[in-house]
Amino acid sequence: MKSTPVTVKRLPDASDQASQKRFLRDIKEFVSRSTRPRLVLDLSGVEQIRPESVDLLLECVDHAERGDGEVFVAGPSARTTVILELTQVASVVRMVSSVREATAEHQPNDFESGTQSCSLHAA
Amino acid sequence: MVQGLGVGLVSVVSRDPHEPNRIHTMIEWAKEGVEQILLIVLGSYAEIDLVDLVRFHYQGQHPVTKVFDQEGPLGVSLMHRGCVLTDQGPADHDGYQPSSRYDFLGYAVRLSSTVSYRRLVKDALEGHCGIHPTGTQVRESVWIEPSARVDPSVQIDAPCYIGAASNIKAGVTIRGCSSVERNCEIDLGTILDHASVLPNTYLAPGLYVRESVVDGTKLEHLGRGVSLDLGTAGLSARIGRRANPLCRSMRVADVRRTGAPGR
Repeated sequence: MKSTPVTVKRLPDASDQASQKRFLRDIKEFVSRSTRPRLVLDLSGVEQIRPESVDLLLECVDHAERGDGEVFVAGPSARTTVILELTQVASVVRMVSSVREATAEHQPNDFESGTQSCSLHAA
Repeated sequence: MVQGLGVGLVSVVSRDPHEPNRIHTMIEWAKEGVEQILLIVLGSYAEIDLVDLVRFHYQGQHPVTKVFDQEGPLGVSLMHRGCVLTDQGPADHDGYQPSSRYDFLGYAVRLSSTVSYRRLVKDALEGHCGIHPTGTQVRESVWIEPSARVDPSVQIDAPCYIGAASNIKAGVTIRGCSSVERNCEIDLGTILDHASVLPNTYLAPGLYVRESVVDGTKLEHLGRGVSLDLGTAGLSARIGRRANPLCRSMRVADVRRTGAPGR
């Protein structure tokens, strides 16, 4: 039976391709074992999202949609918000002010292990 | 407007304090017999009745008349030659020149920020000030310069201005009092919404430019108060130095076709 519909992650370093591949592999695995997964990307520590990260974010949306899920972008800075709006990424994700807002309606057992708290995010 | 006063000499001088002769030029004029000098510091747009200003100045008792509106000085002064030739002028011991104050109640915008610039564009397009867009009025409140190329599929919501030699490609939407100045290229499917694009700017395909002023690679988002350099991401460029678009927006379109979550 599929489970763990929520995971919270930070985007990996835009210049580290190995980390990016690992990140995407994790996302694919998460989506494949979930029903209507909710992927929360915590951007609260990002001053301005880089083009490579925008591409990666879109990959996440692509994977999430295959599992009938959705992607939340939590805590983006004003600059990141403008870039996501400008590139129209904002129209295919849910923009929320914080991880807490994105996960408010979920119970603890909805979370993938180790992702409930911002401080425990796997990258 | 200035020449309409019958002014014999109009000169534009750099504001750069390091520019040589910027003050010297005015002194030369005064020495050569110019009686009155109208000094307009560029930085605001004000629809001042200069004839009335000159009349007011002559009626006043002071060698200098300064124009103010409700926010303060507008950078427009009318001065007698004696003020420039300081050794002949009526200055007091501190060099202070007594001045008259001309209170202007008409339309004025200080062009000190992009917010002000957008306000001026909007007012001009909506007919709230004396600026009349150039170009051909193709329908009510839509002005397009004859040399601009606009694809038939482009959606334009009035009011709007498209400048000379600009190229607006297929699928573009222009709305919300937006303006595109001369020699710009707006690529496929991009949306301009309450935005101004300054001359010689290229915008990549599929962008949504809202509440912003774009000048080459620089975007200033007025609503969020942030400035961004779009050049490194290839989202915009100065014409002549075009970046290679990364086609992210096209990828967004691909994602959308698979069914996007509602917002």
